[in-house]
Amino acid sequence: MKLNSFLILSTLIFIGGCASPNTGYYWENYSGTLYNFKKNPNEETRQKHIKELESIIIKANEKGSRVPPGVHAELGYILAQQGEKGLAVEQLNNEINVYPESKTFIERISIMLGLED
Amino acid sequence: MKYLILIFGTSLFLVSCGTTQQSKLEAYPSMYDDRQPLSVLVIPAINNTTAADATDYFNVTINEPLSNFGYYTMPVEIVKDIFQKEGIVDSTMIKGIPPSIFRKNFGADAVLFVTINAWDKNYIVISGNVTVSMEYVMLSTDSNEILWQYSATQVVDTTAESTGFIIADLISTAITTAATDYVPIAKQVNYQAFAGLPHGKYSTRHRIDGEEKILISLKDAATEEN
Repeated sequence: MKLNSFLILSTLIFIGGCASPNTGYYWENYSGTLYNFKKNPNEETRQKHIKELESIIIKANEKGSRVPPGVHAELGYILAQQGEKGLAVEQLNNEINVYPESKTFIERISIMLGLED
Repeated sequence: MKYLILIFGTSLFLVSCGTTQQSKLEAYPSMYDDRQPLSVLVIPAINNTTAADATDYFNVTINEPLSNFGYYTMPVEIVKDIFQKEGIVDSTMIKGIPPSIFRKNFGADAVLFVTINAWDKNYIVISGNVTVSMEYVMLSTDSNEILWQYSATQVVDTTAESTGFIIADLISTAITTAATDYVPIAKQVNYQAFAGLPHGKYSTRHRIDGEEKILISLKDAATEEN
C-alpha cells in the first residue's frame, strides 16, 4: 500500500515537476474527454469535450498564461462541424494569433471545413 | 540521482540492451541551432501490435507532453481527418512520402513518427501490468535528417492501490484489469519518452538544457551518427 502510494506520488511529481511549469500550460483533462469523444462519438461526449476545451482557454486567460497549442484550433474545428461557422472562424483565428506558425495548418482546415472560398 | 529517483519512482522498468549517458547537446546537436523545429506535425501512431485500442491511447495523449516541452503541435485527431480525406488511412503509408510535403501543406518544421511495437497486458492474481515498446523519430521537413529519436521497452504497473485486504484487492484488480484507464498510462509513457527531448521555443528551459545528462539506448545513439 505504502509502496503504491509512493509510486503514484512519484509519478505525479515526475509529470508535474518536469513538464508543466516550463510552459505554464493548463491541459486539464483534455486527453480524457478527447478519448471518450473518440470512443463514443455522441452529443454528450462532444459537449463534454467542447466544455473541456473552453475551460482550458478560460483557465489560461485567468492565469495569464498561453492557451496550449491546438486548443483554439480543435474548438474551432468541432464548432464548424456543428455548423457554428462564425464562432469557428473566431477560434481558428485565435490559434493563428497565439501561434503564427499555425497559419498554413489553419488555412488547410478552413478549406476542408468549407469556411473559405 | 534525480534521474534514478524518477526512474524507480515512476515504476517504469526500462528493458534495454544497452544505454549510454550523454548530454542532450551531444546527443542531439541539431536541436541547438537553427535546425530546431518550432512546429511539429505528429503523425497518427503506427501500431504494429494486435492491440487495436493502443493507437487511440497514444494519439490522444501525445499533444500535451510534446507541447509542454515547448513545441507547437497540431491536434493529432484533426491531422488524422485530413489524412483520411487524402486517402491515407494508415500512417505506414506516410513513411514513403518526402517530409518536405508536410512543410508545404502543414507548415511543419518537423514530423514525428510514433510507432507502437508492443502493448501486452498481463494479469497476475493481485496485480496487473502492461509491457509497452515504443519508438519515436523526429525528422526535419527541411533536410530530412533525424533530429531526435527515442525507443524503449518498459513494463508499466497497472495495479490499483491496495486496500490492505486480500479479497478486496482481488476484486479490485479484477475490476481494474477489466476497465483499466489506459489513457493516463499512455500519457505517462509519452512523457517519459520526451524526458530526453531538448526543450523547444515555448519552454522556459529552451537552449539552457544542453548540459542535462540523459540516458540513450545504444541503438538510438548508433543511428544518430549515421
